[in-house]
Amino acid sequence: MTVITSEDGHYKHLFVIIEHEEGKPIPVSLEMLGEARRLMDHFNKKYSSHEKVVAIVLGNKVRKLCEELIFYGADAVIYAEDPELQYPRNIIDTKIISQIAMNRECIAKISPEDWEQFKKPRYMFFAADNIGRHLSSTVLAELESGLASDINKLVVEDLEIKHEHKTKGQMMTYAKTLEMYRPDFSGFLWTTILCLDNRNPTIERDYHPQACSIIPGVFAPLVPDAARNGIIVDYTPRIEKQDLNVKILNRKIIKSAVDFDVHKAIISFGRGIKDSPEENIKLIEELAKELDAEVGVSLPISKKPYVTSEKITSTYMIPDRVIGTSGRKVSPLLYIAVGISGAMQHTAGMKESEFVIAINTDENSPIKDECDIFIKGRMEDVIPVMIEELRKQKELIMGVRSK
Amino acid sequence: MNPLNIAVIVKLEPDFSEGNVSYNSDGTLNRAETKSILGPHSAVASRAAFYSKVKYGAHISVSTMGPPIADFALQQAQLICDADELHLYSDRIFAGADTLATAEVLKTGIGKMEGGKMDIVFSGHRASDGETGQTGPQTAWKLGYTFLGNVIDYDVDIEKQTVIAKRLITLQGFYDIIEEVEAPLPVFITIDPSYKSEFNTISQRLAFAKYQKEATERAQNYKKYLKIFNAQQLGVDPKFVGLPGSPTIVYKVEKIPKAKASRKAEIINGSDRDQIRKVFAKIHDVLGGIIIK
Repeated sequence: MTVITSEDGHYKHLFVIIEHEEGKPIPVSLEMLGEARRLMDHFNKKYSSHEKVVAIVLGNKVRKLCEELIFYGADAVIYAEDPELQYPRNIIDTKIISQIAMNRECIAKISPEDWEQFKKPRYMFFAADNIGRHLSSTVLAELESGLASDINKLVVEDLEIKHEHKTKGQMMTYAKTLEMYRPDFSGFLWTTILCLDNRNPTIERDYHPQACSIIPGVFAPLVPDAARNGIIVDYTPRIEKQDLNVKILNRKIIKSAVDFDVHKAIISFGRGIKDSPEENIKLIEELAKELDAEVGVSLPISKKPYVTSEKITSTYMIPDRVIGTSGRKVSPLLYIAVGISGAMQHTAGMKESEFVIAINTDENSPIKDECDIFIKGRMEDVIPVMIEELRKQKELIMGVRSK
Repeated sequence: MNPLNIAVIVKLEPDFSEGNVSYNSDGTLNRAETKSILGPHSAVASRAAFYSKVKYGAHISVSTMGPPIADFALQQAQLICDADELHLYSDRIFAGADTLATAEVLKTGIGKMEGGKMDIVFSGHRASDGETGQTGPQTAWKLGYTFLGNVIDYDVDIEKQTVIAKRLITLQGFYDIIEEVEAPLPVFITIDPSYKSEFNTISQRLAFAKYQKEATERAQNYKKYLKIFNAQQLGVDPKFVGLPGSPTIVYKVEKIPKAKASRKAEIINGSDRDQIRKVFAKIHDVLGGIIIK
């Protein structure tokens, strides 16, 4: 068996690409740092090494943010400051991040003992949001390496791999390989993606960094510690005029039409509505109105799987309402899951609700383990009774008040 | 002046609509029993391209990488955007490609389109099966085009040869932003699912009707517009496509283990009115009263 470990020092450290709005970090940035810290602490212990968590920040007036990132777990921050970098723009950001990822001088300041060998980062994290998803794609196209998207679990392992193309059918050890777990669209399957060098002599090629985008809301940030020390490196980017040809004419902050945060209660529905989608959604709408609740959906519903009236479809079967790893994370006082089986992809978005009620026909569905009350029954039967009882109680209260 | 040259890259995907989609008993997709169609986000990208046909009389080419049956996606896209040319990149060696290796094929194919140099390339937001959303931006980067993601609205300034676009930026745990940008052609645009095209003037509505009729006729004879390329005809280096050209591999697929029960549920019989009444006592406690309006 051939053992090649890529341990010649070309690929080191974990780079985390930070997203922020005018110096204020987006939550997922701190979550990524927390996970990076845990992963590299484990890595350094396991391999008796001193590889670093390096945060990368582009922006204008971001020095204070850099200090904050050290408190949240970064060993070092490399930042590029320029008025042109005030807001994210794909081309210029891609070029600068790629420059930094291959810059030995920056690494020399962070890790003086091994900078001469440095070629590229070993690992790289991006946020799986509207900015990071595209940025990760273009950066990894520029660095010509592999990228896995929407990751919610990460493990570093030495793996024995036998692959038709990668190893030409030979068993080989890939040391320090990042196992990147991503839940698939159903939420029931977990796919582990690896980014591996081609060691097959006919197609030999190095693929580093091993990179991924990380689902917001999955990992916990560290509790900030102002006593933590780190190195902050100021990088002066090479900016070419043609890389600035996208002009931002204006930027408007908007409120989504669906705002889960202002409601104490949320009612979500899933594929369990399928027997009579239109009528069932109307029932849910009615119950939501009675409880002053916002309405959420599971991911499959946003793919508009049923034929319903234009109004119902455009109001409810939309990505804006999705709760879970592909949508919003919520924590209302009351969460009612109607006809939702409880795939991990959904429950990750509602786990922190104060009190959870599930309405479902199947007692074996995973949602049972995520709720406080499980009402076993068809929603067609249960919800009308709920609405009726709720109205009775309200009348009772109103009656008492008016006396 | 030459008409605008527009390319759309699309994908054949499982049809997730009820009656067509089939799930296994464990909740996973039953691919063998599920039909395939033009992906919904590819359909939105095709609509965005059609907007340029109606408004600017653009020349449209649609392309996809996939097995021979993926020509169905091209036909469906042609029906939406009245494409003048359809490209199918199909070769056994393309199979198993990750996003980088797919982008290599798409980039090369776009270079072979009738119009020569493209002004705008459209792709969908993400595929509804793979869901990475990476292929579009990686193709853009390989083409060297300016990339604009999550575009909800766009217009072209033919005189200035620029595009003016609105982008929707959603940041988890933060506010949403609508950003208006201007960029010189050529650009690569991924279209947001919320994109809607509007045709306001009478001449636009007339053009819309004319091209839509043409699209129906063309799609009936879509093979007339179809060009199929294998790896050799495309001229791609086999080292950079399919499995050999993919940095990433799928190492394993497993069922997501059942999480430890995070709560202990009290089970209530849904046909028992007394028990449901008790649920409301609980709701009352949790919400600190039931809201009366």
